[in-house]
Amino acid sequence: MGRPSWAPEGVDTDRPSLARMHDYALGGAHNFAVDRRLYEQLISLMPDLAAHARADRAFMRRALQFCVAAGVRQFLDLGSGIPTRGNVHEVVQRAAPDSRVMYVDIDPVAVAHSREILAGNDRARVTQADIREPERILTHPDVCKLLDLDQPVAVLMVSVLHFVMEDPAGIVAAFRDATAPGSYLVVSTITSDARQDRMAAGQEVVAQQGGLLTALRSRAEVERLLAGFDLVEPGLVWAHEWRPDPPEGSAADLDQPFILSCLGRRT
Amino acid sequence: MTQDPRDTPYEPAEQAGLATFAQAWARAVVDTSYVSMTYAEIEKLLHQLAGRIAAALRGPSPAAVSAAAYEVGTRLVAADLDSPETLGHTVAVIADRLLSDLGLTGADLGTRLSRVLEGLATGYARARFGRTLDAQETLRRAATVVLEDAEHKLREHEARFRHQATHDPLTGLPNRTLVGEWLDEVFASPAPGARIGLCLIDLDGFKAVNDSRGHDIGDQLLVGVAERLRQVVADSGHLLARFGGDEFLILAEGTTCPDDAAKVADRALAALGDPVCVDGRRLSVSASIGVVEGRVDTSNARDLLRSADITLYWAKADGKARWALFDPDRSAQDVARYRLAAAMPAAIDRNEFRLDYQPLVDLATETVCGVEALARWHHPRHGTLTPKDFIDIAEDTGLIVPLGRRLLRQACRQAARWQQAPMPPFVSVNLSVRQIRSPGLVADVAAILDDNRLPPERLHLEITESTAMGTDPETVATLRGLADLGVRLAIDDFGTGYSSLAYLRTLPVHELKLAAGFTWSLGLSTPAADDEAIVATLVSLGRTLGLTVVAEGIESRTQARRVRDLGCHVGQGWHLGLPQPPERVTALLTAAGRQRFL
Repeated sequence: MGRPSWAPEGVDTDRPSLARMHDYALGGAHNFAVDRRLYEQLISLMPDLAAHARADRAFMRRALQFCVAAGVRQFLDLGSGIPTRGNVHEVVQRAAPDSRVMYVDIDPVAVAHSREILAGNDRARVTQADIREPERILTHPDVCKLLDLDQPVAVLMVSVLHFVMEDPAGIVAAFRDATAPGSYLVVSTITSDARQDRMAAGQEVVAQQGGLLTALRSRAEVERLLAGFDLVEPGLVWAHEWRPDPPEGSAADLDQPFILSCLGRRT
Repeated sequence: MTQDPRDTPYEPAEQAGLATFAQAWARAVVDTSYVSMTYAEIEKLLHQLAGRIAAALRGPSPAAVSAAAYEVGTRLVAADLDSPETLGHTVAVIADRLLSDLGLTGADLGTRLSRVLEGLATGYARARFGRTLDAQETLRRAATVVLEDAEHKLREHEARFRHQATHDPLTGLPNRTLVGEWLDEVFASPAPGARIGLCLIDLDGFKAVNDSRGHDIGDQLLVGVAERLRQVVADSGHLLARFGGDEFLILAEGTTCPDDAAKVADRALAALGDPVCVDGRRLSVSASIGVVEGRVDTSNARDLLRSADITLYWAKADGKARWALFDPDRSAQDVARYRLAAAMPAAIDRNEFRLDYQPLVDLATETVCGVEALARWHHPRHGTLTPKDFIDIAEDTGLIVPLGRRLLRQACRQAARWQQAPMPPFVSVNLSVRQIRSPGLVADVAAILDDNRLPPERLHLEITESTAMGTDPETVATLRGLADLGVRLAIDDFGTGYSSLAYLRTLPVHELKLAAGFTWSLGLSTPAADDEAIVATLVSLGRTLGLTVVAEGIESRTQARRVRDLGCHVGQGWHLGLPQPPERVTALLTAAGRQRFL
């Protein structure tokens, strides 16, 4: 709590940023040397990390396409990072141009970055907020202006819950309770059930570098977070197994997957 | 996605071959880059791009092949199919099967295929490079925006913090800290001959408002006063600050004389002349103002503020609702006085206060019948100080009470010693108003007499005329209590104050000491006739009331004789004996020490 109240969190570009590391993992150039350095360290522990990151994003794309097909036109992406390639607004606005997307991220550089990228797109907005403060997000003027919470909305928690240490169930519940029936919840999260040795080593590396804490949960723990949602088939599965495209399976076979994914529909 | 007619092959067989190739290409690159397209969309795009290459291959120009492939490389990157793996797999799938899937044959096809790969790789790398630079530019801009935003917030915060640190939240006026900075600036580089004026304004009786009406009303009153004073300085270039509590300060730069500063003080007093409306009620206010004005180059901020403070105190002491102008002489006296007051408690503890004794001579027998104890402060630096130097200070600080008690004890102890002398004297000790009013005086005196086994009539206590005439019941009771102990009471300096003769008659007083002023001219060769008459009248009055009459200020034989002839019982003065240490007095109390005074 040493940070004075006026200083936005995380403006230090000398420290690795999760959003920029993710961009690098997906092949983007919106990143700094510090981000790439930490990412390469992780790659030395998990050479297939990029493939898993892509699988995670591909799951998100498929889930979004499902939502659009189900008639959802509002999207709230929590922990959105940098919406560079194949991000939510690209996917959903390609499928339904009137789709509105609200991006939320805690990292001010990522938010400023998002603003640059979203310039000119008046159906996609970004704001800086912490997923751990659902009330602030749900009452934020930008959010209220763009999204009508009386209508179904798809809330995205893609690769973000494993950074939430305390009360993830409360956070999920807060967003669930604030959205209309027929809303969706897109979740993907790293599980503690797989790759336990390498996960621990990876956490260590990350902790040493940037102090990004990860809260890995078992499948049962993840399932408990989803109370109040009916899971769309096939339920909570590995990211690449969720309604794969093409149906016969992708070219890259993922060995030892560790990202659990699902799409829930608010009951 | 619209289809460019140029990309459409003409033969159905070629169309089928193109589709086969596009499927193989899609399978080769899927999951090598992250894209937002579905697999079907990817396949459709690649089908289109393959058609573009096929059309060029069928044309006559190798350069056109290069150009088409360059464009395809660019479009792959634009569609996010931009990873090194995507390029590698693309090169492999084209090299392996493009010609065979399309069913193309010919002599220079090997060279044309090379042109395809060369053009595609170049276009791909160029687009990828451009995209990287764009991304870096966006990233740099974003980081700059964030850093600028952070700096802006920091500056805002600093400004806000600075305002908070230098302003009073209640009135919004600058506070003492800012005044300090102003003055530092003024004194940092004074122009030759530049002058400055300060008005230190303190509300009169503000504490009473706070106590009786509550702090809320007090605060609102301060806000109202601040508003009035703001109008005083408006457009004048003077600076107004809340100096603390109910103190305000006006700083006037560029004054030419003390009068300039005094005029500001006048305006401030006038501004507070009308009652201030607070919470629907009209509260009358007044203020006292300390005014200091002087040259900047011969002073400093600390002294200036101190002077203003001292002067404010004068304005209060002189009766409030006024301003006072700083006067260095008065200040020097105040300082000396203050130093003595500060030194006094320790001096009492160190026994620096001692008594000298001045003989009181029975004018009938020319013998020493008593002595008046007179306090002396043997100050380590200032030498011996007499009561006129320190009694007022002791009165003001209240130290007179412990000091008086101590000296009384000392005098009684000495008186007890003299009881062994051939002609034992009474000892006369002065009592101040505060001593009389301090509870327990009678008990103290009784205990001291008792401790020293001193017959009470050997102790005389001198009080001033105004003390004696104080009509409050406590004072009367104390005087009566003392008289009841058997102690004798004298009225000192009789005739210089106002006495009610009727009242005097009821007081338990035994002695009148006539002020030296009445006896002074009696030493001249032709005394003032009215002095003589007055002394005669006072003696007659004393005798009528059965009181002993003492003449003070006897400085010559002539005076001594005249006061004796006028009927005074006892004399005191230089001619009859100087105040002196007790051991010298002891010698006077023997037959051998007897002198002729008349």
